[in-house]
Amino acid sequence: MHAYVLRRVWQSAVTLIGVSILVFVILRVIPGDPAKMLLPEGAPESAVEALNRHLGLREPLWVQYGIFLRSVVRGDFGQSFQYRAPALRVVVERVPATIQLALSAMALTVLLGVSIGIVAAVRQGSAYDYAGTVLAVLGQSLPNFWLGIMLMLLFGVTLRWLPTSGFHGWQSLVLPSVTLAAFPTALVARLTRSSLLEILGQEYIRTGRAKGLGEPRVILRHALKNATIPLLTVLGLQIGTLLGGAVITESIFAWPGMGKLVVDAIFFRDFPVVQTILILSATIFVVINLLVDLLYTVIDPRIRYG
Amino acid sequence: MENPRLSRRRFLLGSGAALGVAARPRAARAQARRGQIIAGLSERMLTLDPANHYSISSTSVLRHVYDPLLDVTNDDKFVPALAESWKAVNNTTWRFTLRRGVRFHDGTPFTADSVLFTLKRVRDNTKLIKSFVYQDIEEVRKDDDYTVTVTTKRPFGSLPAHLTMLGMLPPGAAGNEDAFFGKPVGTGPFRFVSWTHGDHVDLEANAPYWKPSLPKVEKLTVRFIPELSTRAAALRAGEIHVIDRVWPDMVQTLKTTPGIKVLDTPAVEAQRWHFQLAREAGKDPRVRHAVSLAIDRNTIIKELLLGYARPVVSPIPPGLIGHTNLGQKPYDPDKARAILKQAGYQNLTLDFVLMKDLYPKQLEIAQAVAAMLSDVGIKVNIRNLEIATAREQRTAGNYDLFFSGWAHMPHDPDWYFGQWFTKAGAEKLTRFSDPRVEQLIAEGRVPDPRMRQQKYEEIEKILWEEEPEIWPYYSVAIYAISDKLRNFEARRDYYVLLNEVGIA
Repeated sequence: MHAYVLRRVWQSAVTLIGVSILVFVILRVIPGDPAKMLLPEGAPESAVEALNRHLGLREPLWVQYGIFLRSVVRGDFGQSFQYRAPALRVVVERVPATIQLALSAMALTVLLGVSIGIVAAVRQGSAYDYAGTVLAVLGQSLPNFWLGIMLMLLFGVTLRWLPTSGFHGWQSLVLPSVTLAAFPTALVARLTRSSLLEILGQEYIRTGRAKGLGEPRVILRHALKNATIPLLTVLGLQIGTLLGGAVITESIFAWPGMGKLVVDAIFFRDFPVVQTILILSATIFVVINLLVDLLYTVIDPRIRYG
Repeated sequence: MENPRLSRRRFLLGSGAALGVAARPRAARAQARRGQIIAGLSERMLTLDPANHYSISSTSVLRHVYDPLLDVTNDDKFVPALAESWKAVNNTTWRFTLRRGVRFHDGTPFTADSVLFTLKRVRDNTKLIKSFVYQDIEEVRKDDDYTVTVTTKRPFGSLPAHLTMLGMLPPGAAGNEDAFFGKPVGTGPFRFVSWTHGDHVDLEANAPYWKPSLPKVEKLTVRFIPELSTRAAALRAGEIHVIDRVWPDMVQTLKTTPGIKVLDTPAVEAQRWHFQLAREAGKDPRVRHAVSLAIDRNTIIKELLLGYARPVVSPIPPGLIGHTNLGQKPYDPDKARAILKQAGYQNLTLDFVLMKDLYPKQLEIAQAVAAMLSDVGIKVNIRNLEIATAREQRTAGNYDLFFSGWAHMPHDPDWYFGQWFTKAGAEKLTRFSDPRVEQLIAEGRVPDPRMRQQKYEEIEKILWEEEPEIWPYYSVAIYAISDKLRNFEARRDYYVLLNEVGIA
């Protein structure tokens, strides 16, 4: 077990170094000149050149990477070109909004997705099942931008129950969370339904019922626990994706999260911000995946890694 | 409510210069200032440093916190702000007489030292985005506490215009700029309160502002809402009071919403699609004329921009120094075909490069242009590229025609001419080079407005004849506001300025 953990941690570290090199190199080989994006269109070439030198972009690539790596180890991700402030600070300022949105979308996903899935599986073939299927299809097929704008127009403009956009208070969290949760909820509902159905057909469930266990206990304790394995994998990946930012939802609701920040940073060639976000989210992704892998062994004792 | 009033009283007691203000009945002033305005801007603010950006939305926010030496009105007149007067002593010397009795939000007085610090900082710290504009400044001299003389290396007639975009800083900011710009102080009508990055900025009235009855509201919040449909929804939901950058096809929806007014004004921006003058097509003036003749500008304005644009009669939009009426460019596809035939062009293909999503309706317009040009036998290859890539392609010269606009900031065409029609400026852009034009641009840099007008008219005649660019239309700036706003002015420079705006 310890060897396994060590090996996984080592693999994760190598993955992160690889990500940092990839991000660093790709940003610098794609066309586009950061100084030109910062200066107005009418800036003379000499100013562009001078600014690029100030930004350290005239050094050879490996020198730039070396400087970058040395600073990162000290926790310094460089100065954002656009914001003229430490990139880490620019990114960290977006963390609360990103986490709030990700967690509330995740909570909705788990709550709604699993409940719908359970009802649909237990009442297979009933009206509930069909309703669940319709919801799941809608959730997975309605594009985010359309759903978001419709929710905004209905609940924000017409009914005025909730704020249309922005980041102030729990009310403003509702519409973006629902929009963001639509797709993963549908996914989780379908997955819960199918894996629960599979397990409900197995013999130990029949045994459970035969020995007189109540239906809730059979489903929640015996069936659902085993149906959780594929769910965990999907949820782990979803959390990583959500924390990395939800560009479209953030754009629609003017939500000051990481997704929009990284897209803007890419457009403006704000290398330090892109690097910071990608490396941080890769780290989160890798760590969560690691935790999920380790969780398997806790939830399902049959899974053992040497 | 109590605190600002107390501090104002304390401040007024200590300030002889403000006696005139103190004499006004306090009740009347308090009554005049009330409520909160919330604006929704299309771009996120990036910095609180007025010298470190050329962003229109940052200017919109920062103009409330900092005052420049001069202001520019919506009809392009330069008027006193922190400078009471200014004059050109000679072609390379400007003298500014400063307003007395003005204080920064922290109580320190505004004097010549502030001007010296601000101007020297922007010139010497070349990391600042605005620095390159001020490189022509030779010396900034303090004649006395309220007089500053600026000498320049060559004539710099547009200096006063540029100064409308540079907020004055207290000299105390020197040495601790990071801390200063974390919570900046200016002399403006609003004090900075807080900035939630990517979301909004909160400002509050600066009670002892040097313009006695301003500002009209207690609080000003500026929210950043890049998506137009979201901005419009927030306005329609009554959450905000004004939005900028409304696109023509959104106007109808907003106009029919009760409580909302749509305002528009001819912008200081001219659309100008430039040719790559070193490539085969752009090099030949006959091709450029044929392209120009083949484009039906009025149809673009009427059908695609729904009338929210104006026909062009010279490269410089009306109202700005240098504008002259050279008559609209004709639409004559027959003549275009004849010119191309005579010049022996067959199967001509043009690469038309667009910077993705930058201008309203640009892709539709480019597609219409492609259809118009194919009508005269020119095939157009539309390349809708991400902005940084498009610019890179332009530097490399990989385009024939480039879709772009030029907002004539700061209400002066010197920048446009200097950048696009001098050899040094255009070298990596259009490859334009014409010694006659270069000479006229240099001569037009003097402070004398009559001389400038004359030189610019000459330049424009040459350009109108040569057509190194297609000028399809002057842009129109569209805003939508709540009908609760009082005295809002739709600015032609796209700024959202609320210093003098009240709310019912």
